[in-house]
Amino acid sequence: MEDNQIINVKNLTKIYPSKTEAVSDISFSVKKGEFFGFLGPNGAGKTTTMRILATLLFPTSGEVSVNGFELGKRDDQIRCSIGFALQGITLDLTASAWENLILIGVLYEMTRVEAKKRAEELLTLFGLDKVADSWVKNYSGGMRKRLDLAIALMHEPAILFLDEPTEGLDPVARRKVWNYLKELNQNGTTIFLTTHYMQEADFLCERISIIDQGKIMVTDSPANLKKKIGGDLDDVFIHYTGHDIQEEQLDLKAPDPYVRQ
Amino acid sequence: MVEIRKIFILFVRGFKQSTRPYPALLPEFLMPFFFFIINSAAFQRVVDLPGFSHSTYLQFYAPVALLTAIFVSSGSTGLELVTDISTGYMDRLFLAPVNRWYIVFAKLAAVGVKSASLVAFMMILFTFFGASFQGGIFGILLVFIFAFIFAMGWAGIGLSLAFITKNPRVVQSSFIFFFPFSFITTSQLPLNLLQGWYKIAVQINPVTYVLEGIRSVLIKGQIGGTVFLGLIVAIVFAFVTLSIATWAFKRSVLH
Repeated sequence: MEDNQIINVKNLTKIYPSKTEAVSDISFSVKKGEFFGFLGPNGAGKTTTMRILATLLFPTSGEVSVNGFELGKRDDQIRCSIGFALQGITLDLTASAWENLILIGVLYEMTRVEAKKRAEELLTLFGLDKVADSWVKNYSGGMRKRLDLAIALMHEPAILFLDEPTEGLDPVARRKVWNYLKELNQNGTTIFLTTHYMQEADFLCERISIIDQGKIMVTDSPANLKKKIGGDLDDVFIHYTGHDIQEEQLDLKAPDPYVRQ
Repeated sequence: MVEIRKIFILFVRGFKQSTRPYPALLPEFLMPFFFFIINSAAFQRVVDLPGFSHSTYLQFYAPVALLTAIFVSSGSTGLELVTDISTGYMDRLFLAPVNRWYIVFAKLAAVGVKSASLVAFMMILFTFFGASFQGGIFGILLVFIFAFIFAMGWAGIGLSLAFITKNPRVVQSSFIFFFPFSFITTSQLPLNLLQGWYKIAVQINPVTYVLEGIRSVLIKGQIGGTVFLGLIVAIVFAFVTLSIATWAFKRSVLH
């Protein structure tokens, strides 16, 4: 493993109890301080991979290390190293933003004073300071998304996993989040992003992997991929995960009972 | 110390979750109160039956209303958990460097404390309607222990269903268990006045022994065999339901 690799994945496979092979023998690495994009169509295996890296799922086979800690052996150290803005909204809706943040801070072993200070910083940064004491269920979708991101950053993680972080945000809010993530990355945080917005991946990511049917199709910088295919990132995406390819693969797998739906 | 702080904040969160939104607490308070008022008024003349040893039906029924308070205050635990699972909030907690068992046990402790608090409130309320409680401070403390243990045991059923099905409708439907567990007991009449298959069913139902334990300490002021049997049954009941919940938790969440 190279010294500057903060995430290292070797021959990772995940087969669910339903026999669905969500991730099939993939290998890749992410460099320290890199903004890495993990793209693919729905059901390609993006979220499964991220959830394994974040210790939320056990892999079926393969080796994973995150921030130098081996998955399955030093999971608590991995958890301390990462922040994760999960797909959807993962907040306690009948608690305030303040309560949500303090709880997470204490679970990440901050003292109450530290947690309070950090929560204040984040609430101000994400423009939630004026509504900090209101229950989250009264927040708009954009506010909830921002709070979700603030929670992921509460313990100042070395690596930030973002699963569709700007889904449902209006263009202005999306641009604000992009700028903030850029700044965060420039300050040294490694970011692992999945998104359906190619423009987002193009703007933010230094390198991207495209995954389809549980396999990594290609890994390179957006600029190199665009040059190779001769179009924008949408064309690159379609080239590697295009409808025709998918249909062909599904046909080939049709007699297989484990076929992905 | 750090671990205690984690458990404590999870406990506080669990307590707040089960008491919010506040209007949702109303049925938990109203249902036992309603049962207490209606039944103690409707069955006043039952005291005239030969073999009925209590002075008033209100006095006889007060422990049943308290037990109902424990049932209803802990019955929503599974639903709260399934909400955490379905919204992904459980994943948020699992991402933190915290022992996953703390999450479940802090929640159970919160449910126990909530039930004991409701029981304390109902006892005060019932005294205004003529109920009197014996057993002194120690007796009252024992009733809180009953409430704490039995609430956790009852919550274990909802938790098991939540972990196994992850479906709010199934978990909500588990409320149906309340009826046989609560009614096929000595809730309406003492055991010596029951007959036939119903008497056998009442004797099989573990809740009967919990109810008799509470009744013995609170109404008769006796801290003896009935109380200890009730406590043992409550502990065994909690052990069984929480063992199932633990198995389901391992099976479904710790993949």
